[in-house]
Amino acid sequence: MGGFARNRLVKALRSGLMQAVRRYLGAAPLVLLFLLPLALSLILLLRGLVDIQASQALFQHPQFSGALKLTLFTGITSTAASLMLAVMITSQNHRNILQQASVFLSVPHLALAMGLGFLIAPTGLLARLIAALFTGWTLPPHWQTTQDSFGFALIAALVLKETPFLVWAMASVMQQDELKQRFARETIVALSLGHGLHASFMRIVLPQVLQRSLWPIIAVFSYGMTVVDMALVIGPTQPPTLAQLVWTDLNDGEVLANARGAAGTLVLSGLIISALAMIFLVLRITRPLQRQWMTLAARPEIRSTVPARIIWPIWAIIYALVIVAMALQSFSALWPFPDLVAPHFTTTAWARLLQDASPFWTSVVIAIVTSCLALVAVIAWLETQSQARDRIALAAATAMLCLPALLVALGQYRLLLLVGGTGTWVGLLFAHVLSVTAYMLVMLTGSYRAFDPHWQSASRGLGASRLTFLSKVKWPMMKASLLSSLAIGFAVSIAQFVPAQLAAAGRFSTLPMEAVTLSSGGNRALIAVYALVLMALPLIAFQLSSWASRPRWRTA
Amino acid sequence: MLELRDISLAITDRVLVHPFSLAVAAGDIVTLMGPSGSGKSSILSYIGGDLLEAFTAKGDVVLNGQSLLLQPPETRHIGRLFQDDLLFPHMTVGENLLFAVPRLPKAERLTMVTTALERAELTGFADRPPHTLSGGQRQRVALMRALLAKPSAILLDEPFSKLDKSLRGQMRDYVFSHIKARAIPALLVTHDRKDAPIGGRVLEISNEGVVRDV
Repeated sequence: MGGFARNRLVKALRSGLMQAVRRYLGAAPLVLLFLLPLALSLILLLRGLVDIQASQALFQHPQFSGALKLTLFTGITSTAASLMLAVMITSQNHRNILQQASVFLSVPHLALAMGLGFLIAPTGLLARLIAALFTGWTLPPHWQTTQDSFGFALIAALVLKETPFLVWAMASVMQQDELKQRFARETIVALSLGHGLHASFMRIVLPQVLQRSLWPIIAVFSYGMTVVDMALVIGPTQPPTLAQLVWTDLNDGEVLANARGAAGTLVLSGLIISALAMIFLVLRITRPLQRQWMTLAARPEIRSTVPARIIWPIWAIIYALVIVAMALQSFSALWPFPDLVAPHFTTTAWARLLQDASPFWTSVVIAIVTSCLALVAVIAWLETQSQARDRIALAAATAMLCLPALLVALGQYRLLLLVGGTGTWVGLLFAHVLSVTAYMLVMLTGSYRAFDPHWQSASRGLGASRLTFLSKVKWPMMKASLLSSLAIGFAVSIAQFVPAQLAAAGRFSTLPMEAVTLSSGGNRALIAVYALVLMALPLIAFQLSSWASRPRWRTA
Repeated sequence: MLELRDISLAITDRVLVHPFSLAVAAGDIVTLMGPSGSGKSSILSYIGGDLLEAFTAKGDVVLNGQSLLLQPPETRHIGRLFQDDLLFPHMTVGENLLFAVPRLPKAERLTMVTTALERAELTGFADRPPHTLSGGQRQRVALMRALLAKPSAILLDEPFSKLDKSLRGQMRDYVFSHIKARAIPALLVTHDRKDAPIGGRVLEISNEGVVRDV
C-alpha cells in the first residue's frame, strides 16, 4: 500500500520533472541565441547614456544641423510616400499580391540602392534610353540624380523598397481568413448604403487595416531615419544624413569620435521617438476631423481606378530595369555614354568575384548557419512554451525590428567588446543572428499557432508519439511556411551590414561590407557584380523554398 | 415593387436554381426558403449586385419599373441585412448610423441619427462602440442603419439565425413592423419556416432547384 503510493508519487514527480525539463530545454535555444543577448545589448546601451561631453561635441559638429534636417526630411518623406503608395496598391484587387510583395521583400536594401544608381545616374541606363529614344544626347545630362544634396535619390530608393513591405504587411492583414470575409461583407453593406467602392475601402476597410499595421509602419519610419548602407551608396554627402555621420564616428578608432558616435545614436533614437510622438499627437488632435470624414454622406463616385491599378505593375518594371542596368554594367568595362550597350562585353569583373570569393562564402555560410539556428530555436520555443509566452518573444522581436537598427547594433557591439568577441567567427555569427531570429519569429509564430490542434489529437489516437507526430504530420504539413521563413532568415542575414561591419573589426568581409567599400571606388563593373549577387542570393533562396514546398499533388 | 423575371442561378455549369419569377409589392415581405447551399443567398447577391464571379445568374431584376442589372450596387437603393450585424467596429453606434444618412444639412443628418436611435430603443447609445451592445441591440442598429439610407427595397439574409430563441420572436416583430411602416418590398431568405411573417407568401427552392410556393 505504502509502496504503491510512493510509486505513484515518484511517477508524478518524474513526469512533472520531465515537463519542466522539456520546457526549459525548449526555451533555452531562443533565450541564449536571441532574448538574452538582446536584453544584454539593450542594457549595455545605458552605459554612458548621457555623455555630456560627447553630446556637445556632436552638436558642435559643423554638419550636425544639416544632417539633422536631412534625416528628418528623408525619413518622413519616404515613410509618408511609401504608405500612400501602399494604400493605393492595396485598394485594388491584385491576385497573388502577397507572393509578389515577398519577392520585392527579399531584395536587400543595399543591392537595390546600388542598382538604382546604375539606372538613374547621369551615365545610367535611363539617361541612355532617353538619349536613344528622344533627345539624341551625346553627353551625359547634368543630373545630380544620386547622392543629391536633398536626398531625393535616397528617398526614391527607400520608397521603392519599403512600399512592397507595407503592401505585404497590409495585404497579410486583409487576407487573414476571418478578416477577409468580414471586410468583403462590410464592403457590401457600405455599397448598399450608397457609398462607392473607393469610399468603402478608404472609410471602412483601410482604418481597420491601418490599426493592425501600426508596427510595420513604425518599423519603416525607424528604418528610414537610421539607414546606413543605402545612404552610403546613394544618399547625400555634404552634409550626409545623421545616420551616416554617426556611422563614420562609430567606425573611427579614436575614443572621442567613438563616444560622439554613441551619443549620436542616442540622439537619433530620441529624434525618432519625438517624431513618432508628434505624429501621434497630430493624429489624436485631428481625430474629430477624421471621424467627420469617415461619416460623410455618400456621394456618386466618378473616379478612375487606372492610376491606382497601374502602380503595382510599375514596381515590377522598375525592379526589372534595375536588374537589367546592373547586368549590363557587370559585363562592361568601357561603356561610352550614349551607347545603349557597351561595345565589348567582358567577364573580367565576374572573374574577380571568383578570384576573391571569401566575402561571398562568408556571407553564404553565415546565412545558412544563422537561419538554421534561428529556425531550431524558434520551433523549440513554439513547441514547448505556452501561447501566453509568445508575447514575450514577439515583443522582443518587434522591439528589435522597430528600434533604430544603429542603436541595437551599438548595444550588440558593446556586448561583443565586453566578451572579447569582435573579430571572431562567433562574434560575426552573433552579429547576424539577432535580426534573423527576430524576423523568423514574427513570420512563423502566426502560422505555427494557427495549426489545427485536432491533428495532434488524431495522431495521438492512432498511437503516434510526439516525435512521430511532429516529423510525420505537423512539420510536413507546415513545410511551406517553415521553408519560407528559412528563406526570409537567409535573406535577412545576407543583407546585414551595420552590426556585421562592427563585429568583424576588419578581420572578415561579407558581401554587403565589400559592396559598400567598392561603391566608393570607381570599378563600376565590379560594383554591379556585387549588387547583382547580393540581389540574386535571397531570390534563389526564395525560389528554392517555393520549389521545395510545392504541393505533392494538385487538389481538384 | 421588386420584380424578379426568369431568374436562374448556376455555378460552373451546375444549375442551382431553375428560372423563376416573383413580384414583391411595396409593404410585402416574401420569404424564400431552401437548404444551405441551395443558392438562396446568392440570389440576394444577384439582386444587390455583388454576386461572386464563380456564379452565373440570368434574368432581370426590376425595381419600381427600372431594370437594375446595369447599375452598380451603390446606386441600386437596396438595403441589406445579414446574419451578422456587420456594424463597422471602428465606428461608434452613432457613427455607424450617420454613415448611412444621405446628403443633407449636418443638423438634419444628426437629427435623423437621434430619431433612429430612439426607434432602436437605444437612446443615449450613440457614443458606444458596437461590441459593447448585446446581439439583439446590434441587430436593431443594423436594421436602422439600413433604413436610414432610404432604400427602395430590402433584402434580409437570415437576419435572425444568430439570435437566441427567446429574442428571435421579438426581433422578427420589430424588423417586420419597421419594414411595413416604410412600405417597401422585402425579400427574406431563411432555412427556418418559423422566420416567415404570418400570412406572408413563402416560396421554397427544392432539392432539384425548382422554386415553388408552399
